Amino acid sequence: MAHDHGSRHGSDSGGPLWGVMAEFHDPAALSRAAEHVKQAGFSKWDVYSPFPVHGMDEAMGLKPSKVTMVMAFMCIAGFASAWLMQWWMGEVDYPIAVAGKPLFAWEQATPILFELSVLFSAFGALFGMLMLNLLPRWNHPLFGKPRFLRVSDDRFVMAIESNDPKFDEGSVRRMFESLGGTHIDRVEEGA
Amino acid sequence: MSHAIDVSQVMARDNVELSEGAGRGLSSFLIGVGAVGIGATIVAAFSGGPAMAAMAAHAYHTGVMAVIGFSVAAMGFVMILQQTNAGWSATIRRQFENIMSLMWVGGLLFVVDLVFQYLMTGRHVYIWDWMNAAHTAGDQLYEHKKGYLNVPFFAVRCIAYFIIWFILSRMLWDASVSQDSDGDKWRTAWARTVSAPGLLLFAFTSAFASFDWMMTLDYHWFSTMFGVYFFAGSMVSMLSLGALVLITLRAFGRLHGAFTDEHLHDLAKLIFAFTVFWAYISFSQYFLIWYANIPEETAWMLKRKVGPWEWLSWLLPIGHFIVPFLLLLPRPMRRSRKAVALVSLWLIAMHLFDLYWAIRPEAQVEGDPTVLGPNVMDIVAVLGPVLVFVGVLVRKVGSGPLIPLKDPRLPEGLSHKNYV
Repeated sequence: MAHDHGSRHGSDSGGPLWGVMAEFHDPAALSRAAEHVKQAGFSKWDVYSPFPVHGMDEAMGLKPSKVTMVMAFMCIAGFASAWLMQWWMGEVDYPIAVAGKPLFAWEQATPILFELSVLFSAFGALFGMLMLNLLPRWNHPLFGKPRFLRVSDDRFVMAIESNDPKFDEGSVRRMFESLGGTHIDRVEEGA
Repeated sequence: MSHAIDVSQVMARDNVELSEGAGRGLSSFLIGVGAVGIGATIVAAFSGGPAMAAMAAHAYHTGVMAVIGFSVAAMGFVMILQQTNAGWSATIRRQFENIMSLMWVGGLLFVVDLVFQYLMTGRHVYIWDWMNAAHTAGDQLYEHKKGYLNVPFFAVRCIAYFIIWFILSRMLWDASVSQDSDGDKWRTAWARTVSAPGLLLFAFTSAFASFDWMMTLDYHWFSTMFGVYFFAGSMVSMLSLGALVLITLRAFGRLHGAFTDEHLHDLAKLIFAFTVFWAYISFSQYFLIWYANIPEETAWMLKRKVGPWEWLSWLLPIGHFIVPFLLLLPRPMRRSRKAVALVSLWLIAMHLFDLYWAIRPEAQVEGDPTVLGPNVMDIVAVLGPVLVFVGVLVRKVGSGPLIPLKDPRLPEGLSHKNYV
């Protein structure tokens, strides 16, 4: 750890161990490492890169996002509330006959049914995504590592969390080394 | 990454060509059945009364419109692919070019349509009521449209559409097929050059052809959306037909590595997109007419709310939109050849019904405003031209390479992948 630039934060904060991180020098190396870690049976880990790496979902063995389920539910909720709203306003609360049209009809309701379904689905996508990613949060243990900040620029990082049932600091470090990881480092819970 | 493509294996002859004479039997069978259907339609039209004749002519007209829609939409699709220099579709484009190149089948069947009309004139049965002088006598609205709706100008337009379509499809076909032998990359550039003005011509001719051949069956009625409505439905059915051809070729052990699940996925996305687009356009057309409530516009919709048409009309939003929408929504469905094949078959049937719904209620006996209900014989009349077309297509598919062999975008097409 002596080679860390600056010790403004983090590396020796003395907090409990959060996990171990390693750097990889290109997306292909990161993908290969992910493939290996997946096969080794780890479950609490993630990769970080400056741009989306094609094929990474497959390499990591990620299942399709559950956000679509949230969206489907919100879509139905939007459709139902648009139906209820228009029926209640038009036929119950404030009935006014306009141009001989029915007080409520599916024809005139359709644009709003469509719009609210889309609106609710979009909310479902945004807030569902945040929820599933456990966002928003103030900080993340990895932000304590100055080198980690380079993943928004030119570094490819993998981190395995210590609460993974298969986690063992020594063996994880050895695995990272064998996979070609550099700057392998302990990550502590935030100071 | 991990799945490297063996190009020589993909380009092997037994992968990109059908064996000599493959599909000949099926082709002859389909053409035969279709021809018998057309024959039965003609016999029914001339042996029955005027109501029977009108129904048969309109149902046959429906089939012809579907066939023309296949080729014209395929031409539009090929031009979009060429114009956008699409790499993903390089391996599947040939099958759409095959559909496009059968423009002559639509033309031939349309001539039969006109002969049909000509022979029935003596019996005062009309596909196009505005051609009937007895019908338009003293009609104020017709007087105003006479400058456009008259037989000489109609004939000029029909000829113009077909000339434009023949020339465009021929140019695109030649550019692609000549490349198979000489590998000249400039043919790709030429196809792109043709496609820019071609798309403009395609948009105008397909819209006006649908006005002339379908919308003016009730010449009082008008809908500015009708051209897009025809385009959207034709795209759905054409893409479905192309998907069926490609899936069938895979089932016969061809196109391994050339038509992959990735291409299938994208093709299914397009089918899905155009299904939604069709729903959007046809609902908008109906909705505006419903809301404005102007008699000369609502008359067309009212005919479709009479008798059995009323409940048959519900087949469109349900069968042409909700069912395929829900079926194609999950990603695994769009990546399953079996699922896409079934949905495609269903969508082609629905598109035929959509055209039938737009055309057939216009069949009337002169002097009798009764809207003639659907008839079982119509199925034969609609399917006749469609089966002939599919039969010719089967032969066409077997007659050459299944992919553009030397397209410069082939490497991109072969390595195409959807990253979520």
